[in-house]
Amino acid sequence: MRPGREDGADIEETTGDGVDPTIALEGVTKHYRTGAGVDDVTLSVGPGEVFGFLGPNGAGKTTVIRMLLDLIRPDAGRIRVFGMDARADSVRIHRRIGYVPGELSLYDRFTAREMLTHFGYLRGLRDWSAIAVQAERLELELDRPMRKLSKGNRQKVALVSAFAGDPELLLLDEPTSGLDPIVQQQVHAEVRRAVDEGRTVFLSSHVLAEVGQVADRVGLIRDGRLIAVERVSELRRRAMHLVDATFASPVSEDRFATLPGVSACEVVDHRLHLDVSGSLRPTVQALADVELVDLSIREPTLEELFLSFYEQSRD
Amino acid sequence: MHSIYERSMSEERRSIVGWLVGLVGFSVVMLAMYPTVSGNKAFSKLLDAYPDALKKLFSLSDYTTGPGYLRSEVFSFMAPLLLAIFAILWGSDLIAGEEERRTIDLLLANPVSRRRVVTEKWLALATGVTLLAAGLELALGLLGPAFRLHVGWAPLTAVVLGSGLFALAFGTLALATGAATGSRGVARGAATVLAVATYLLSTLAQLVGWLRPVESASLWYHALGTDPLSSGFHLGHLLVPALVAAALVGLAVLGFERRDLAT
Repeated sequence: MRPGREDGADIEETTGDGVDPTIALEGVTKHYRTGAGVDDVTLSVGPGEVFGFLGPNGAGKTTVIRMLLDLIRPDAGRIRVFGMDARADSVRIHRRIGYVPGELSLYDRFTAREMLTHFGYLRGLRDWSAIAVQAERLELELDRPMRKLSKGNRQKVALVSAFAGDPELLLLDEPTSGLDPIVQQQVHAEVRRAVDEGRTVFLSSHVLAEVGQVADRVGLIRDGRLIAVERVSELRRRAMHLVDATFASPVSEDRFATLPGVSACEVVDHRLHLDVSGSLRPTVQALADVELVDLSIREPTLEELFLSFYEQSRD
Repeated sequence: MHSIYERSMSEERRSIVGWLVGLVGFSVVMLAMYPTVSGNKAFSKLLDAYPDALKKLFSLSDYTTGPGYLRSEVFSFMAPLLLAIFAILWGSDLIAGEEERRTIDLLLANPVSRRRVVTEKWLALATGVTLLAAGLELALGLLGPAFRLHVGWAPLTAVVLGSGLFALAFGTLALATGAATGSRGVARGAATVLAVATYLLSTLAQLVGWLRPVESASLWYHALGTDPLSSGFHLGHLLVPALVAAALVGLAVLGFERRDLAT
């Protein structure tokens, strides 16, 4: 299966019924002098969808999000948000967006209350209650200067600002990175609440498990190229297990290579490595017949998952 | 704190108060020295003996009268320069500083256009310069008589207005350069060099004949070169720095709108 083609099918799926996709990128390219950037990214996210944007640091996730917000402009390609041009209609678009940046900088000499009042005014929030509700839910300290807040509390300021007024689209750039587990939980709860309320969420992360929990679809980006877009359910279905076993005596490869679900098999001496997709049962049964010294079965890391997609997309 | 204008004023509040105190202090020191030169014949004789070039360079004519003393001690260099330093420091920080501190992403993710950000921030800059200029004028006009220095409100207003517009023009240049480049250093450097160049051009034109035809290229000349303390308002000349500032606001918007913001 070619991931690129499936991506194309998804665009038709979300535009076919006449509803504008919430986010639509067509052949978007952006190069920096340093060489990083993104290359020919085509992607569509429908209303109410939760899209996970997954990739290692420096892959181009932040570049895409900042282009959606018209903070930087593409060298080539077209970006539409809510069916409007990201640049020409940026003010109208931003009225409906909540944004949490990847690298957070706040107005350090002000308190959270002061900054949230300021941004609430700019966003046309009529009264403070929309902000207060959100601040209370996240237990944010409102009246200390922001430079004195911990990293978690600073992130809460950004979250309150983004979620206040219930915008239709949330752009969250690595919203949990560097946070302690308790705050991470709170962030996940907020994202899930937004999802339940039918908002569109564009969530970038370098942790598959995080996106997998909430996203409908996941896009994998590496070195500026969108190498795969998959439904999370499909990703789960195809997710392999990596089996490493050490035996008391040398074994032959044939015994395992032909087992159902085994896509890769390697034997060195007493050691065996298998990539297994689908049910693990045949493999485990076969392993049980041999004298085992050590056995580990684990899910692939993000990097390994990327490699498997990368190799498929080159086939 | 609501609008971008209000936030910018609030961020600069302490600095503005500090500059006001400094300017009033400077005015008081200058006024306090006036009684020693006021009507002092020995002083007049001494100054008359100065070479003409020196007198022009330091605006020393009528040094022993109130307006002449203010022209040479306060407005020949120091007051316009202080106002310009304030305006350039703040102007360079308004857009470029926010970009260097990386708060610009959060700000512009709100439904505000870059044009509005530039306009409101420039209005804050203009307010700041106005406050300082008003402080300077009130200090000199109200405290002057206590030191037997009398100067009419109209000529005083004319020279303060010229100084303020000079400062605002170069503060706006710093804001525009910062908006177009994202760099506070570049903005400060460019505005400072040009401000000094325009002062030098105007002053040296008094001494060097062949510079005189190009003197009108100097903003300093239009703001302060017509001796407003003696001759009062020259609206045509004052309009020049005002129009330059307005044009630079337009260029700041264009420069800011065209650009990728730094990460």
